[in-house]
Amino acid sequence: MPIAQNPLSVEVTLPREDVALLTVEGYLDVDTATEFQHHLANQLHHGRRHFLLDMSAVPFMDSSGMNIILRVYQEARDLPGSVHIISPAPAVRRILDLTGVSITVPVSQSVEEALALVDAQQATDGAEPDA
Amino acid sequence: MSISEQPREPAGGEPRDVSATPPPPVPPRTRAADGPADDPSEMPPLSPVGRLAATVDRLSREVRAAQAEAEGRALIELAKGILVERLGCGPAQAARQLAELAEQAQLTPLELAVDVINQAARDRMSEVTDAFLAATGTGDDTADDDAGDGGAESAAVRLRAAESGALAADDTQAVADALLEQALRPLGAAAVAIWAAGSDGSLTLAGSAGFSPAEATRWRYVPPDVATVARRGLTERAGQWITSLAETGLPSVGRHQFPEGGRVAVPAGTGGRLHGVLEIAWPVPLAPQPPQVVRQVEALAELCAHTLETYAPPHGAGPQPRILPDAVELMDLADGLHDPALVLVPHLDGAGHLVDFRIQHVNRRFLDPAGRPRAVVGGALLLEAYPMAAGDSELFQRVERVYATGEPFRAQHMSLTALVDQVPLSAVADISISRHGNAVLLIWRIEDEAARLASLLQHAQRLGRIGGFEENVLTGEITWNGQLFDLYGRPPTSIPVPLEELPGHAHPDDAVPIGRFLRTLLHHRRPASAAFRLQRPDGVTRHIRIVAEPVLDTDGRLLVVRGAYQDISAQHWTEVALAATRDQLAHTEQQASERARLTLQLQHAIMPPAQAPLRVPDLQVAVRYRPAETEQLVGGDWYDAVMLPNRLVLLCVGDVAGHGIEAATSMVVLRNALRGLAVTGAGPGQLLSWLNIVAHHLTGAVTATAVCGLYDPARRTLRWARAGHLPPVLVRGPQANPLPLVRGMLLGAVAEAAYEEAEVQLAAEDTLLMYTDGLIERRDRSVEESLAQLLSTVRPAPSTLDQHLDRLLTYSRSDTDDDTCIVGIRVG
Repeated sequence: MPIAQNPLSVEVTLPREDVALLTVEGYLDVDTATEFQHHLANQLHHGRRHFLLDMSAVPFMDSSGMNIILRVYQEARDLPGSVHIISPAPAVRRILDLTGVSITVPVSQSVEEALALVDAQQATDGAEPDA
Repeated sequence: MSISEQPREPAGGEPRDVSATPPPPVPPRTRAADGPADDPSEMPPLSPVGRLAATVDRLSREVRAAQAEAEGRALIELAKGILVERLGCGPAQAARQLAELAEQAQLTPLELAVDVINQAARDRMSEVTDAFLAATGTGDDTADDDAGDGGAESAAVRLRAAESGALAADDTQAVADALLEQALRPLGAAAVAIWAAGSDGSLTLAGSAGFSPAEATRWRYVPPDVATVARRGLTERAGQWITSLAETGLPSVGRHQFPEGGRVAVPAGTGGRLHGVLEIAWPVPLAPQPPQVVRQVEALAELCAHTLETYAPPHGAGPQPRILPDAVELMDLADGLHDPALVLVPHLDGAGHLVDFRIQHVNRRFLDPAGRPRAVVGGALLLEAYPMAAGDSELFQRVERVYATGEPFRAQHMSLTALVDQVPLSAVADISISRHGNAVLLIWRIEDEAARLASLLQHAQRLGRIGGFEENVLTGEITWNGQLFDLYGRPPTSIPVPLEELPGHAHPDDAVPIGRFLRTLLHHRRPASAAFRLQRPDGVTRHIRIVAEPVLDTDGRLLVVRGAYQDISAQHWTEVALAATRDQLAHTEQQASERARLTLQLQHAIMPPAQAPLRVPDLQVAVRYRPAETEQLVGGDWYDAVMLPNRLVLLCVGDVAGHGIEAATSMVVLRNALRGLAVTGAGPGQLLSWLNIVAHHLTGAVTATAVCGLYDPARRTLRWARAGHLPPVLVRGPQANPLPLVRGMLLGAVAEAAYEEAEVQLAAEDTLLMYTDGLIERRDRSVEESLAQLLSTVRPAPSTLDQHLDRLLTYSRSDTDDDTCIVGIRVG
């Protein structure tokens, strides 16, 4: 079943102590979503509150991938924390718009932009990330 | 008359033995028949039908002998002519010489004649050429001085000899056959037509060879003033030499058979009178020919002219058409079949009673069960060729009945018997008989295919340690393959063990299953299998599985039992070990499949794949639901189309994330919730907002997408909103476009969400489609591309909405096995 030629690669760096930057590469679909979820759960477990998802190298994402993003969004929101999507490819951006996820999960063009949003949110301290 | 004959077979088939005097050589027995009758004049003690068959066979031999004698006479004449030429003697002297030579060579005069002709035929073409070159003064006189008067006379002798041979045959048809086989094939030609010219300028096909019989029949007459290749050939002295028929655009016989081939049409005349045209067809384009070949063809045309001189064109009402039109079509049909087929036409006696069928045609696939060449069977009477057809198989009666009633007959495993030199050979065949017009088409498929597969099978059997067997119940004959002897631990030369003796070779404890196996197979005549322990003479015990099936004849009688033994000793212990595990697995599997079935039932109960149509004035509404192909993938797609109390029509499709019973349950909740909420009269944005709350508070935190619209039939407007779902598509005339992507979060992800609304004004003939992504989802492309593909599919809108939706489902390029919903409305 899994499409072996397109394994998902997830690289995690920590620009701040409580901020995880996950650089995702590959198809984010029903075959790879679980792996992605493990990475996110791991970071949650280690106390990260803000999740920056660099999706520039994800050419395709289906509803499974999107549900993972929504799940981490829901968990981060209760911390409180946040989820940011960084420079999605057009096809992924389209899915985000189509499903309305981009209404709730902010989309940034760069890591710096996303970090600025994180800082702004932390400044208001615990306020709801979204109106 | 007194000549003993051994006629030459023009087609190179097997020689027919026609003589009654010398006993024909006993043919090699291909089968070890148990009691073959060595004396051919005496039939084995057969049924009266067998005796009748023998009589018919003997009669037909006599008829053939008479024919052959006539042919033989012509050949003797031909040989005499050759001797006259070679020895420069008179005909009477030549005849004596032939007899003497034959006696010395211990051959029949006919055989010798054949030798002489063969010898002459070897250099025939060059002789004709040389002779004609000499006669027309363009070449050297190369003829032997032995011939006396040189090339001109030699040519005359040769032509006369050929002519006499040709005239000895009963029609121009035979001349055509002879020309093609002996003179034209060496030149690469594939077919020949001899046309007789009528005084009115018409052409009649007097004889042809190499064209299909049907084609020849179609071209039997060409009215005056019709420009054909032959017609052109008649008007030009040098004839027509055409490189490729296709280039001329001229019609002619066999144009479809040899479309690109070369054609030659030369006038056939004698003594300044034109009698017709000789037309020759090549299968390939014809390069310009050397003068020798041109002369040869002209010589052949002259030969034709001699036969045409005496040709009496059939009068209008006089002779019956050689082939009936029904039969012609049927012959074409038969030629297109992949199974052996015979075209039969009724053969009536003087009083007009049906006595037999003439085998009008046999197709290319035809294989005689007795192995005779096609030409021998074609043209013969059915009972003559297959005397045993009147026997137990009742083949003849079947044909007769089909001819009488028109009711087709089909049977499998029918046993056909053919008599070859008094030895009845039987073959099992599948038979189909049907009537077409006045003709009958008989198709059979000899089970020879099995034989061809057998060697392939043997390899497989060796690898799988499978021993094959076949047991003839009637004769007791048993065939084993080598592998089976190995399994039994017996030498291949030993006698095979009959099935009935199987218990004696098995472990005593296995007697019951073996008994059951034999009863099923031999008594109930059904396929059977059994596993048992085989006790070999060398003391080894093997676990064997035996499978066998009965082969029945048309009357349901058991003919043959065949099957295989497989050595499962290695497998056996593995299976014992697995059995316990399997029990456990089966239990789990059963639970899973029950669960899947329950989910499917649930879904069907809530959302029947076909729904009663919704009646709204000036609006067609259609819905489609296609479940996922795999039961386990039962999904959470839903649709709804319902008239609300405020006279608005609620239209909705939605998709709960995930599969299985949880998704289906959530789907039910959301669908019913939306129906209930819609009764409040709220707008679609508000409805989705509420629905989001429902989804968010469902246990298991489901997410779902949906698009929801309220159609106002009075204003023809649709007010709609979407929750993470693909927007509806509007098909208007040749255009198909998605509605704008208004903002709307998917359901259940956040506690509270707002949904933008949009309104679209519809016009008459507009179609609007809502669908779930099962329709378009593909891994290898973006939603954009998939959507574009979908739109191109819906663009030429079919006449009805139902067709439209069906086409969408049919041509959907989705590659995920997901369920799919479509709701469509068309403003009427």
